[in-house]
Amino acid sequence: MSKASPRAARDRLKAEQQRQRRRNQQLKLVAIIGAAVLIVVLVAGGGYLYSIQDEGEDFTGDLAPQVLQEDGSVVMAQEDAQAPVVEVYADFQCPACADFEDVNAGTLQQLAAEGEAIVHLRTVSIFASQDATAGANSLRAAAAARAAADHDRFVEYSELLWEHQPSNNSVGYVPEDLIAWGEDVGIDAPEFAERVHSESELIERYYDDSVDVDLGGSYVEEVLEATASVNERYPAGSADAFTGTPTVYVNGERLGNEMYSSRGLRGAVEDADPGSTDTQPWSAEATEDHPPDPDEEPEDDDAADDTETD
Amino acid sequence: MLIRTLPAWDTAQPWVTLLARLALAGVLGYAGLSKVTAPVVSVQAVEAYELLPPELARVVGYTLPAFEIALAVLLLLGLATRYVGALTAVLMVVFTAGIVSAWARGLSIDCGCFGSGGQVPPGEADYVTPLLRDLGFVLLAGIVMIWPRSPLSADQAFGLYPAQSPTDRFASESTNGDDDEQGVATRRPGSAEG
Repeated sequence: MSKASPRAARDRLKAEQQRQRRRNQQLKLVAIIGAAVLIVVLVAGGGYLYSIQDEGEDFTGDLAPQVLQEDGSVVMAQEDAQAPVVEVYADFQCPACADFEDVNAGTLQQLAAEGEAIVHLRTVSIFASQDATAGANSLRAAAAARAAADHDRFVEYSELLWEHQPSNNSVGYVPEDLIAWGEDVGIDAPEFAERVHSESELIERYYDDSVDVDLGGSYVEEVLEATASVNERYPAGSADAFTGTPTVYVNGERLGNEMYSSRGLRGAVEDADPGSTDTQPWSAEATEDHPPDPDEEPEDDDAADDTETD
Repeated sequence: MLIRTLPAWDTAQPWVTLLARLALAGVLGYAGLSKVTAPVVSVQAVEAYELLPPELARVVGYTLPAFEIALAVLLLLGLATRYVGALTAVLMVVFTAGIVSAWARGLSIDCGCFGSGGQVPPGEADYVTPLLRDLGFVLLAGIVMIWPRSPLSADQAFGLYPAQSPTDRFASESTNGDDDEQGVATRRPGSAEG
């Protein structure tokens, strides 16, 4: 027969032990949660810093020479550079392309300037066939950039276009702006402004179903042809199929998401062998202080090249 | 909860949780790694939802992949399992809501779940697959959250959710009404006071 008080003491002790055990468990839990939170913060924070650093830097040095090609594309490279060919297919209206440029325009300019890459800038218009507003924006910008290439300012001009990219459902890249940006990069030749206007009018008619429009000889036609030809060059189903913009090929091999990282792009170029472009520079007559005549009436269909012969 | 009193479930549960943990760790790890190498793509994927202002989209796009990797690591380790499970469930619900919202607003985007993302041509957006997938992940995360006890876990190594035989467990529950594992982790009223 035990008395009541020892039993009560035992119970108290037991209760105390239980409380102690619970408290320990709680401390343990707090420590474990604390450790987990620390891991999350460190990893997520580290990821953020890593990503911030991956934004390529602007290139402030002298650009490599830019050479207009027969198909309206532009090759930016040091003369006789022995380096991998980096083809960049971009649509001035495509948001992802603007992001790509944001990260890697400087990287490309630097690689070209240092003779590490032959950068082949190939404007296409994916949006042209999708939507009248975005399509017209895309074509106006493409034609204006092509006109800027006549004045050897394609690269500088493109930067301004990317910077001012309109949204997909609002009208942007309007002629007044396109001309003003031209002046910003030092194109004050009246031919440029005239060309921008004539191409813009053409684009307006192109999207007007009630009018038959002849694109012959226009830069609009050129970019549409360039867009069609990339699908032939990298056909659907092949490993390097062209599936949209932006797409980057190093010596004809399509890059994956690493193209969006300055580290990734640089790495891909460093790992590649020297290559050569698949286009020819614009005919000699056209490049020798005799740019293609912007006033020329767009009537001579496929004969655009021939008309340049003296 | 009736299911907790079934001996068969008591035996299977730690292994079910372990599988759920590892599956989620795999998915989150893959999703994170596929995006962390190309931060801009991740930002694009976030921007494509048109839900956040650009600055915030950038922060989320830069942080989310690493966050997913962190969750994957914790699930793999089995550290703070219940809370990581809850966080994973919340994340998956947020993803689900985002996709539903994009679908409802008629956006044509890739969900950006595994490294791609951004606009896709009209009519080519697939919302059903990512939604079903995410719902499955919510379910898995729910299992981890509700039954955090599992073998091969840091929690167990630290004695947070002690391994118990089903009979011990049953006994302790019937006597204490609340064993250490459940008592602490469910934060019942009164159990938090020192």
